[in-house]
Amino acid sequence: MTSSNISKQEPDGLSRRHFLKTTGALGMVAAASSASEVIFADGKKILKVRAYSDLRSMDPAFSQGVVDEEIHSCVYSKLIQYKPGRKWDYVLDAAESIEQASPTTIKFKLKAGIMFSNGYGEMTAEDVQFSYQRIIDENLKSTNKPDWGSLQEVTVDGKYEGTIVFSAPYPPAWNIALPYIVGNIVSKKAWQEAGGKVDTSTPCESGPYLHAEWQPKQRTVLRRNPQWHGGSAEFDEIHILPIDDENSAQIAYEAGDLDYTRVSLGAVGELKSNMPSHTVLEEYPSLFYVWVGMNVENETMANQNLRKAIQHAIDVPSIMQASYFGAAAPSTGIIAPGLTGNRAQGLVPPGANFAKAKEYLAAAGYADGVTVTLDVLNKAANVTTAQVIQATCAQVGITVDVNLHESGAFWSLGDSSSGERYKDIQLILNRYSMAPDPSYATAWFVTSQKGVWNWERFSDAEFDKLESAAKAEVDASKRDTMYQRMQDIMEDSGAYRFLTHEATPVVYSDAIKPAFRPDGLPLFRYFGQG
Amino acid sequence: MLQVLKKVSAEPLGLLGLVLVVLMVASAVLAYWIAPYDPIALNIIDRLQGPSFKHLLGTDQLGRDLFSRVLFGGQVALKVAFISISIALVIGVLLGMVAGFGPKWLDSLIMLFFDTIRSFPTVMFALATVALVGPSLMTVVAVIVVTSIPTYGRVVRTQTLSIKNNEFIKAEQVMGASTARILRVHVLPNVVGPLLILASMDIPTVIALEAGLSFLGMGVKPPTPSWGSILNDGYTLIRNTPWPIVAGSIPLLLVTLGFTFLGESLRDQLDPKLRNNR
Repeated sequence: MTSSNISKQEPDGLSRRHFLKTTGALGMVAAASSASEVIFADGKKILKVRAYSDLRSMDPAFSQGVVDEEIHSCVYSKLIQYKPGRKWDYVLDAAESIEQASPTTIKFKLKAGIMFSNGYGEMTAEDVQFSYQRIIDENLKSTNKPDWGSLQEVTVDGKYEGTIVFSAPYPPAWNIALPYIVGNIVSKKAWQEAGGKVDTSTPCESGPYLHAEWQPKQRTVLRRNPQWHGGSAEFDEIHILPIDDENSAQIAYEAGDLDYTRVSLGAVGELKSNMPSHTVLEEYPSLFYVWVGMNVENETMANQNLRKAIQHAIDVPSIMQASYFGAAAPSTGIIAPGLTGNRAQGLVPPGANFAKAKEYLAAAGYADGVTVTLDVLNKAANVTTAQVIQATCAQVGITVDVNLHESGAFWSLGDSSSGERYKDIQLILNRYSMAPDPSYATAWFVTSQKGVWNWERFSDAEFDKLESAAKAEVDASKRDTMYQRMQDIMEDSGAYRFLTHEATPVVYSDAIKPAFRPDGLPLFRYFGQG
Repeated sequence: MLQVLKKVSAEPLGLLGLVLVVLMVASAVLAYWIAPYDPIALNIIDRLQGPSFKHLLGTDQLGRDLFSRVLFGGQVALKVAFISISIALVIGVLLGMVAGFGPKWLDSLIMLFFDTIRSFPTVMFALATVALVGPSLMTVVAVIVVTSIPTYGRVVRTQTLSIKNNEFIKAEQVMGASTARILRVHVLPNVVGPLLILASMDIPTVIALEAGLSFLGMGVKPPTPSWGSILNDGYTLIRNTPWPIVAGSIPLLLVTLGFTFLGESLRDQLDPKLRNNR
């Protein structure tokens, strides 16, 4: 019996082998096409992305940082938005034009026809006035008031025209106010009807997406806004999934549950050598700053020579290898590269200098050794960093006793309103987030911040004076010099050993075309199809 | 005791348990001599290596030899287990006997104390304590002691109550024997057997609790090696290397099996009811 005879015996006239071949080929074609086409579900184009925490507020006045803003920037409009790319810049959004009219005034004109959803009408200069002034209103007690700096008022000059007036020059407005959290424009009418503020839902939107759904700790769903003034948003829906752990997020990505996620620094090496199919890995420099602080008011650490000995005993390159897998670079201060005020190099080189450390230790009166404590938040990278510090300090006779703390306990350590524990801090490994303006970094280390965020209890009259002046300095070159000098003062005090700004590695499917700020944070409103 | 051990080792599972326990204890006690490397010495160049003749279980993110860390981690685990269970046993026995033999009001007071402690979930209690006083080996021991006392105390109290009204105890009292003598000579020997079984079965639980706290960064301080902290490193590095997870898991698995088999076998030998049924 030949194979042709067999095929003739098939009831539908199709041989089994032929069927298997055909379906197999079809399957391969389907697999090949679906692997990079992850955005179609139920006939909708859905973008699935990861956020490191859940939504906390839909009100820009009470937004609690990056994740809230990632959602706000999709559903609200601002006069200007951050421009996606590797260099800090802005693009116009709701503004047709905007300019620095004088050192203390910014004039703007809104585009005509920007509509708020749910029938709240067209956006006017009055809405801008309401949105910005409510944040500086003492009665509202907005947690984000400091971002507006010296904002005095917003005057309405016409239906679409207005002027933002500052009591003193405030250059950071262009970097951390207008294109960021407090720059979101809300509907005056809608907010007044809602009682002046909203929580985790919003009465109306004006951005490319609408806030459609929030399932606590499950997901936030944004849906395309058909009325958006910028045209048609790329996706029918964006699903934002809160996943705290980066390893879990990477697993979710590899399982096809996400189209984009940030990954851990430890995963970069493995991803480079074994990249999942249809995946793109990008690495961005981060703005975060990590440092070892020393409490200058502590009895032991008040000794500046001891602080300097510790500065020279800490080997930053070893920390970069052990804790950051070589994916981050040593920092020169608290202001990251690419921002005004970044120093090309610090006063203390990144590598340890044990001979110098011993000299300072002897000068401090601890030639025979000393024991100090290092308080650390119990995250993996921190614990590893602490152990490297422990090991290198031991080489010069400094015994470092590491105290690990869970998040709640750690973040109250230096807070003088939470008890007396701040007095016991000697060394502390710390990491602060940052916005793209140097004033956002230096603001926490002035004398008035002692016991609030200034846990080193560092105090320097020149630093305080410069901090105040630099915020209002409109000359970019002078500003740059001032912030560099401030970091020199910090480092020279011995109270700081700057470690790194970390890095932001992200992976995404080649089925999408993402958009990131220069520090790697996602701008979902600009995400498109690949 | 030797007779009991002989009987335990006559059973396959008992023998396995005994061998595992002896191996774990011996490797921990002899760690200083048999560990090939200093468990806290950094060697970043050799980080994240897989198993080899040079490093039997590979190395961690700081280039430390995992085999050496596992051996020294055993010291921490056994130290915590033996110290905390011994202290809890002594206090539990004393309180249990006092509650069982003493006046009603004292019994009620001690039971209230036991119930109060038992009402806290152990892990939550441990986390709260560590958050308050900071992590250290002493904190872990203290938490285990406090949470274990009611377990032993209740067993002893029940045994004491059942013995208390026996004729021979009453006879002793009539003859003028002191309460201390009655407790020491008549009550204590009757409660020791069940307590030893209970304690041996508790050892893996205590070791797991210490490892759990260290996993959460709330146990022993770095750089002291602990099986929990090795597991935590492994969890963080799971995408880079599986060996720290393997290195941290194996001893926990073996010690749990060992003490459980040994405990069950001891129970079979020491419990008269079970022994007679065999």
